[in-house]
Amino acid sequence: MNNELCAIKGSSEGLVITINDAEQFPKVLESLKRHLSSAQSFFRGSSAKLALKRGALTEKQLNEVEQLIAEFGMILDPEPPKARTFSDEAHKVAEAESVYPPNDNTLLVRRTIRSGQRLHYDGNVVVMGDVNAGAEIVCSGDILVMGSLRGVAHAGAEGNDEAIVFAFRLEPTQLRIAHLISRAPDGKLPEPEGPEIARVVGNIIQLSTYN
Amino acid sequence: MGKVIVITSGKGGVGKTTTTANLGTGLAALGKKVCLVDTDIGLRNLDVVLGLENRIVYDLLDVVEGNCRVKQALIKDKQFGENLVLLPAAQTREKDAVKPEQMKLLTEQLKEEYDFVILDSPAGIEHGFKNAIAGADLAVVITTPEISAVRDADRIIGLLEAAELYDSQLIINRVRADMVRKGDMMDIDDIDDILAISILGVVPDDEDIIVSTNKGVPIVTERKSRSGLAYRNIARRILGEEVPLMDLHEKSVMNWLRRVLSVEGQ
Repeated sequence: MNNELCAIKGSSEGLVITINDAEQFPKVLESLKRHLSSAQSFFRGSSAKLALKRGALTEKQLNEVEQLIAEFGMILDPEPPKARTFSDEAHKVAEAESVYPPNDNTLLVRRTIRSGQRLHYDGNVVVMGDVNAGAEIVCSGDILVMGSLRGVAHAGAEGNDEAIVFAFRLEPTQLRIAHLISRAPDGKLPEPEGPEIARVVGNIIQLSTYN
Repeated sequence: MGKVIVITSGKGGVGKTTTTANLGTGLAALGKKVCLVDTDIGLRNLDVVLGLENRIVYDLLDVVEGNCRVKQALIKDKQFGENLVLLPAAQTREKDAVKPEQMKLLTEQLKEEYDFVILDSPAGIEHGFKNAIAGADLAVVITTPEISAVRDADRIIGLLEAAELYDSQLIINRVRADMVRKGDMMDIDDIDDILAISILGVVPDDEDIIVSTNKGVPIVTERKSRSGLAYRNIARRILGEEVPLMDLHEKSVMNWLRRVLSVEGQ
């Protein structure tokens, strides 16, 4: 679908015609015609909004689009669709291609997270400081701690098992990635010698030295 | 204008009251005017540690509720008189009888008159704690080298930061060099690693403290006592004495450690 030059989709705002690349306008028009003729009567009588992913349309090109859809009994709504619809669409496409990374949001925390403090975030979290025992970080993306991680860390909390947890000193009370939970074995552990990274391998959370 | 210091810990029984009494007495001995305030309403102890219990007429609640003037409620210390006074807590009421705003007003009033106003906070993180920190300029967090006390101290430091009291200082109480050496007790570095705030002092475990508490005479005035020396050093650091903080604390700990080692080596 992504290779298509245009797409027609129903949304909460009605029909939205998405033009993926306005620079190839003649081909876009052709593609649009194909789409419309494949479902001729289906679109009849409805109004459609126009969304542009790349490039811009000249007034003349816009008129051509309007004319074309009028041939199929549709009216062009001059209001552009809400930006949200558009970016959601783009997001979904990106998601279909790759689940990872879940999104680009990253929160930078420049202090130590102490016992009793909880941090929830939709995205990745980078802590420049420690995460002490009794503290908790839960986020949908990766967790990077530029210090000691002694508390509870839950990466990929919305089910992304490709999420990782990284720390200069990884000695957490508990590690969670997606739906998996692991804890340190009881008793005294050898101290980590350097930065470590935790990720899901198979069906368990595995720690390895980070090089 | 004086400075308001709150002594707090989260966990109970780590030495908040002892520290308040000794720091206050230590500062008075260095010529400062000090007012100690017991905010542990319902469980007051500071008056007992200072040996002033039988002189209480009015208390903190009487002041806050306007039953008396501040001056009337302040009890003069046996040794330092006007330079060291105590505002005792009410014993028959509960913590929520006072509001943080009232505490703020009270400490503002007290710091006009005194160089240092030292508040002894109750254990816990509830109402009493919030009252105690309301008017504070500086927080001194007490911990012992036990994981539970360190955990609570961490929690408290977080709450202090949330209340915009940054730069809290740490006192590590009841350190036993022999146990640290054997690896049976967390050492200063372990604690420093976790809490990562500046260390104001390290006080060795000392059974003389129990004796002095029972007598109602703070150990800081005992010239020969090791823990007394530790408190004197803490008082000096509060005054910003020129000696670098860490060196001073290292020196006292190292001397003490060396002494313990040489005795054991014989």
